Amino acid sequence: MERSCEEDLLEAVLCLGTGKWCSPLGPLASRLHLTPEELRLLIEDAVRAGTLTREEGRISLTGKGQEIAVRIDRRHRTLQCFLTEMLGMDPTLASDEACQLEHQVSDETISRLGTYMARPAGNPECHRRCNEPGPGVRTLQSFDEGTILRVSTIRQWGHYTRLLDLGILPGEEISIRRRLNNGAVVVRVKGCDIALSPEIAASIAVEQIR
Amino acid sequence: MKAALIGNPGVGKSLIFMQLTGLGVEVGNMPGSSIELMSGTVCVNRDQKEWLDLVDMPGLYSLDGQGEKEALVRRVLEEPEVDALIVVLDATRFERNLYLLLQIAEYRIPMIVVVNLTDEAIKKGVTIDTEALSALLGVPTIRAAAAQGTGIDQIVPTVMKSAKVSAIEVPYDHQVEAALRSFQKTMGIGRRVGLQAMQGISQDPEMLEVTAMVAEEIENRHRMSVNQIIATNRHNYAHTLSGQVLSTGAHHRPFDLDRLLTRQFPGVPILVGVILSMLLIVFSVGSRLEDLIVWGFTTYLMTPIQGLLLPPLAAQLAYSVVLALESGFGIAFPYIFTFYILLSILEDSGYMTRAAFLADRAMHRLGMHGEAIIPLVLGFGCNVPAVMGTRLLSSRRERIIAAFLITMVPCSARTVVISGIVAKFVGVLPALSIYLIVLVLILLTGVILSRVTPGPQYGMILEMTPLRRPKVGMVLRKSWLRIQEFLMIAMPLLLISSVILGLLGFYGVIAAFQETTVPISEGLLGLPSYASTALLFGILRKEMAFETLAVLAGTADLITVMTRVQLYVFALVSTLFVPCISTIAVLNRELGVKVAALITAYTVLLGLGIGALIHLLMA
Repeated sequence: MERSCEEDLLEAVLCLGTGKWCSPLGPLASRLHLTPEELRLLIEDAVRAGTLTREEGRISLTGKGQEIAVRIDRRHRTLQCFLTEMLGMDPTLASDEACQLEHQVSDETISRLGTYMARPAGNPECHRRCNEPGPGVRTLQSFDEGTILRVSTIRQWGHYTRLLDLGILPGEEISIRRRLNNGAVVVRVKGCDIALSPEIAASIAVEQIR
Repeated sequence: MKAALIGNPGVGKSLIFMQLTGLGVEVGNMPGSSIELMSGTVCVNRDQKEWLDLVDMPGLYSLDGQGEKEALVRRVLEEPEVDALIVVLDATRFERNLYLLLQIAEYRIPMIVVVNLTDEAIKKGVTIDTEALSALLGVPTIRAAAAQGTGIDQIVPTVMKSAKVSAIEVPYDHQVEAALRSFQKTMGIGRRVGLQAMQGISQDPEMLEVTAMVAEEIENRHRMSVNQIIATNRHNYAHTLSGQVLSTGAHHRPFDLDRLLTRQFPGVPILVGVILSMLLIVFSVGSRLEDLIVWGFTTYLMTPIQGLLLPPLAAQLAYSVVLALESGFGIAFPYIFTFYILLSILEDSGYMTRAAFLADRAMHRLGMHGEAIIPLVLGFGCNVPAVMGTRLLSSRRERIIAAFLITMVPCSARTVVISGIVAKFVGVLPALSIYLIVLVLILLTGVILSRVTPGPQYGMILEMTPLRRPKVGMVLRKSWLRIQEFLMIAMPLLLISSVILGLLGFYGVIAAFQETTVPISEGLLGLPSYASTALLFGILRKEMAFETLAVLAGTADLITVMTRVQLYVFALVSTLFVPCISTIAVLNRELGVKVAALITAYTVLLGLGIGALIHLLMA
């Protein structure tokens, strides 16, 4: 229990600032669901363990702390990704579940899960907890024919490399040529029409340009 | 000297290949691969006996990736098999085509560039400055419009004399570049090998271990996979290059046929109409041609051989051989060739991709994707090429489901049985009801298979090929190559099995078989005992079931010896029951013994089960 609290703390420090966090510790405490007093004790423990340093009220990760935090964060993302993408769990529930699991699971399991999902660790669609997707993420399917869009992210599926080859990349401007009522779309990318089946269209998040 | 044509799908490589090589084309497989490479020779100078060997590579979007096609092309490029490359670009999709060119250039093989489809580009108001492109790439560049035949004559002399290694290099992300430099220092590998190894493509496990570590580091920093970073860099560079050579002017927008073809209405009715009229044409043309061929065989081979008064064993053997030839040609040319011509027209016109898009939803219910409609429709012509056509499906799961369903699709031979027995003696409506029963069974099987077949299901990503007028030469040539493939697989099998069946008949084994299967033929299905022999011959070629039945019954007027229910049951069972021997062989080759055996067993049980059910209901 002791260890998992510390790990949560390190992970939160990693996410909230790039390795540094200044007082007040409010956001950190609320993120970890702790009272400021509990948080203070926890930070002291961590400083003693050599994972955090504190100077003039500023806390930052030490090399050792950084290592642990990155590892836990990766576990979290992989687990959350697995729970939502593969098992179809609700993202919030999956995040909570991942919070529990991340402390027990071995690195071996995580790397195998990663390979299983054929997604490299730093995959953009496995969102870090700190930049959780806004509620308004819209996919290709939610726009009408003729709209011009910009690809923001793509959730990775088996055919992902084909999308890359055809030029459907984050940042690329595409337009919707046809949309059937089952959600299948034809998009125009780089002057070519590409047909996408509904599940692929649903995995491409976009923002409207005009 | 050996050169290879390479480019995106649908850029006109095959048309250029055909114009350069003429008719003498070989279709061969690379060892260990089922993808075919077409090769031919071009005579450069007859006096000095100068020849150029030309290979047509399969069209692809990228050289990276784990697909079979990509792996094959990489292998051809890595081994010093080709001396020069002819990179074909589509002027109307120029930027996307440059993406592949940039990857090809990394192989540092001498090349030339052919900018094809300039005629269509001009219609769209797009012009490409080939001289500027040539200067940028450092290789000779030819403007061509293969459909008009312009520019084609320059290709061979240019590739023979002035093919060069392109100096172009994609500026990658600085971390990727740093990694490439360090790979070069530590492992002594070049840019291309390093880039591929970072994407997990290499035969060397030690190298992969090192590159995977570096790749992970880069991924963690960028929050992007290395594939994505590399692809983005290449696309951006292609965009820059294209901006320097491509200019767009005004153009009028012609009526967009896709407004009709890719909407649910009227797209779906058009799709159904196209498929139905295709089948109708095949059968009306096919049955006439078949009569002609069978008549020819009977008059010029069968009758003279019978007149020779050979010893009985030799007569039997000769009869079996002629029967096999008749079966092969009687089905191949009238039905399958006609079907292939129509199919090639649909493919070359670009309609097939629209059909796949519209069919995606229905195919999805059957556990497949829109692309699967192509082999399924092929199945109506002949199951053999249809099973080969499943190669274009992306996962093994889809291929297995498709193979199952294809073997149930009533091919042209089975249609002959249905029309020859049921439509003629029982009625047109009962004949159509057989189609209905088979269709329902196909749908049920598909729904069940999509639940039980293991493996992941992927979505469809399909480029819509532009609508074009098909070229007569290309259509005929494609159909010819395909029919050759069919004859190569089916003919030897037909000959062997026909001879074996003939010998079995000669030594009385068939009669014994007929005796032992009496409980099935008479008891289960309520058919005369010789029906089992007829069904057995149906394995050779489906319509043999019908012909053998007539021979054994002693009359072509089957209604005088069998009841209407019996005829109906016989036609239904032979339609469902066991794919023909050529189909089994091709199933075995494409998907392995296990799947072939499973499909065969399933269709036998299904045929007998449904036959028995109808017998029980009608009796």
